[in-house]
Amino acid sequence: MPEPLLQIRDLNIAFETSRGDVRPVRDMNLTIFPGQTVAVVGESGCGKSVTAMSILQLLPKPPAKYLSGQIFFQGRDLLKESERAMRSVRGKDIAMIFQEPMTSLNPVYTIGDQIVEAVALHQGKSGRAGYAVAQQALEDVGIADPARRLGEYPHQMSGGMRQRVMIAMALSCQPKLLIADEPTTALDVTIQAQILELLRKLQKERNMAIMLITHDLGVVAENADAVAVMYASRNVETATVEELFDHPMHPYTEGLFKSIPKLGANRDRLDTIPGTVPNPQRFPAGCKFHPRCHRMQGDVKCSTVEPNLREVQPAHWASCHHVPGYESALVTIPTISHKRQITARVTQEVNA
Amino acid sequence: MTASQPPIAVAPAQPGYRPPDARGSSEMAPRSMWLQALRETFARPGAQFGRVWVVLLAFFGVFAPILANSYPILVKSKAGQVFSPMLANLFPIDFTLIAVFMAALILWGTGRFSFLKSLLTILAIGVVTFLIAKAVCNPDPTPQYDEYRRREVAGEFSSVIRTIVPYSPNDRLRDRGDQALLPPSRQYWLGTTEFGEDMLSRMLAACRIALTIGFISTTIATMIGVSYGALMGYNGGTIDLLGMRFIEIVEAIPRLILLLIVTVSFGRSLYLMMVVIGLVSWTSDARFVRAEFMKLRKLDFVQAAVAVGLPRWSVLFRHMLPNGIAPVLVNASFGVAGAILLESVLSFLGLGLGPDDPSWGQMLEQARKGGRGFNWWIAVFPGVAIFLTVFSYILIGEAARDAIDPKLKKLRD
Repeated sequence: MPEPLLQIRDLNIAFETSRGDVRPVRDMNLTIFPGQTVAVVGESGCGKSVTAMSILQLLPKPPAKYLSGQIFFQGRDLLKESERAMRSVRGKDIAMIFQEPMTSLNPVYTIGDQIVEAVALHQGKSGRAGYAVAQQALEDVGIADPARRLGEYPHQMSGGMRQRVMIAMALSCQPKLLIADEPTTALDVTIQAQILELLRKLQKERNMAIMLITHDLGVVAENADAVAVMYASRNVETATVEELFDHPMHPYTEGLFKSIPKLGANRDRLDTIPGTVPNPQRFPAGCKFHPRCHRMQGDVKCSTVEPNLREVQPAHWASCHHVPGYESALVTIPTISHKRQITARVTQEVNA
Repeated sequence: MTASQPPIAVAPAQPGYRPPDARGSSEMAPRSMWLQALRETFARPGAQFGRVWVVLLAFFGVFAPILANSYPILVKSKAGQVFSPMLANLFPIDFTLIAVFMAALILWGTGRFSFLKSLLTILAIGVVTFLIAKAVCNPDPTPQYDEYRRREVAGEFSSVIRTIVPYSPNDRLRDRGDQALLPPSRQYWLGTTEFGEDMLSRMLAACRIALTIGFISTTIATMIGVSYGALMGYNGGTIDLLGMRFIEIVEAIPRLILLLIVTVSFGRSLYLMMVVIGLVSWTSDARFVRAEFMKLRKLDFVQAAVAVGLPRWSVLFRHMLPNGIAPVLVNASFGVAGAILLESVLSFLGLGLGPDDPSWGQMLEQARKGGRGFNWWIAVFPGVAIFLTVFSYILIGEAARDAIDPKLKKLRD
């Protein structure tokens, strides 16, 4: 097995609020290998973005505090690094692109100035050399006439173009890990496909790992090698993309698949997961999903004992008392170095 | 583009398309927010008037000793020697101001350099000129303003070229007998003061003081306010809470009384006054910047700037500040007006500048205590000047506010 690039171990984060602490991330474990795409899936507020922000230490402290855990990047624990050391990691080793391309670029500077600032910081190339790097970066993301675009302001560009610029900026310093926080949510479908295609292409060229945060299972099916499903600030299921789509184990994952509209299915209503996401200030006892779960059927265990993530099958982790084999399974740290082979099959699964 | 590349929905650059010139009239020209705001600001008639007046003031302020001087520009003696008593009696600061003004005019005219580069160039030129002038200049510490008039009358010179207004602001025209409190005439265009000084010459010299006091005190206030507000807004929490309480304490100090106390205890000084005005008027700037930064720090591009690994100062002052400085700039315009008024009030109360430093407020005071009835020319001209200056700054400030805030603009249209 190759050396993992990023390992998140038992990460627990709390936000201090006036009404007590809130726990946006609990017992999070995640492993990413070089060149791999790991998707983190879950609905809004489940802790995906907080996990991503914690890797780069972007959470303001206070209100955020790290209760426990480590984040190893190439062997060093990022949580123990100083702010100064983190600054040399940000952008250089780990880059991040955000959800909203419309607001992720500074409106008062030209595209060129913004890319060159990052390039100058991490590669020591400013002035003409920096602009050459920036121009190459724009060309790499498929922007036509990059020399002219460098002199333009963000407001002169469309959303898709800006997301390309964001990607160009993030990749201009050749990071080893790219955190893409819902990179295509704000874009329309055709542009989405282009951006994802572009990310795949650049990933292949540079053997870069991607942590793909999304709530779009279609995006996951098309891009991810491994998937971590999060619910109520916890990782509830982790598997390879094929395994997860073929045999979802956790009832929440199951519900997610059921609620995808299927082409040609003759049904009036779409399946939904009953109930709503619990408020992090008032999480239910036991399994956080039990009030919405169809498997519970009055089982007291579900409402009293919170299940932990166990390796129910080789390379498939789930946390549910009602998964066959859960009782006897071992608690291990989810580690999947798998890379997808076929894209077509999984895609069909989703659309079937 | 090769076939293996993904389809890209980017419009190809039209053949023959040339990027529009930044100074051209095309709406699509790539133009920064600032340039656009500046353009819109000065497109308004009020601001245009304001700009003309302020530029005029700056011109008078810079060239006052060349426009109004008792020393002739050029003198040719009977022996055929040509020399310039005016140049010999200029102060280093006069040369510096002229050099800076010319440099600014040239750089602005060519428009080739970025704002920051121009500013640094101008500063460098100013410092170098000052140092050279300081080494070379040797003005008479006790000037004999009437010296050349006497010598001309005595017939020492074959020809004399004088300045437009041939009197220095502190020239009491002793050689001409009693010239005190003369109303405007062909000889003294705006009349004379109770000491027999030419009003026009003093008015011109006062432009420099009015502008300096406005700019320096506002610069001090803005710098303190911006740094303070930025730290409060970016950090929030306890720092913000304590910071706001301190602002409230500073705001509770009555400015005029503080200034009175300072001048009474430390003596009259232009520089001290600028510093004190600056030190008490930064609070509104800090409030504006704080509010803007609280809004900005949550925005994606600020997060993105941090995520790229930029150092704190760059995030704060390169990425956040330009997006949040608009209200401060508007406020600065009003601040300059306020500082000029405050100086006038102090001078009028007799606690501002001494009679050797001509300022509009101090002239107003002379009008009051001059005796021999109401000397209208000593009151009206400085009064109108103060009014027009303050009015200009307020007009510019209003126009800038309208240009920056599109909501307000819509309401008005």
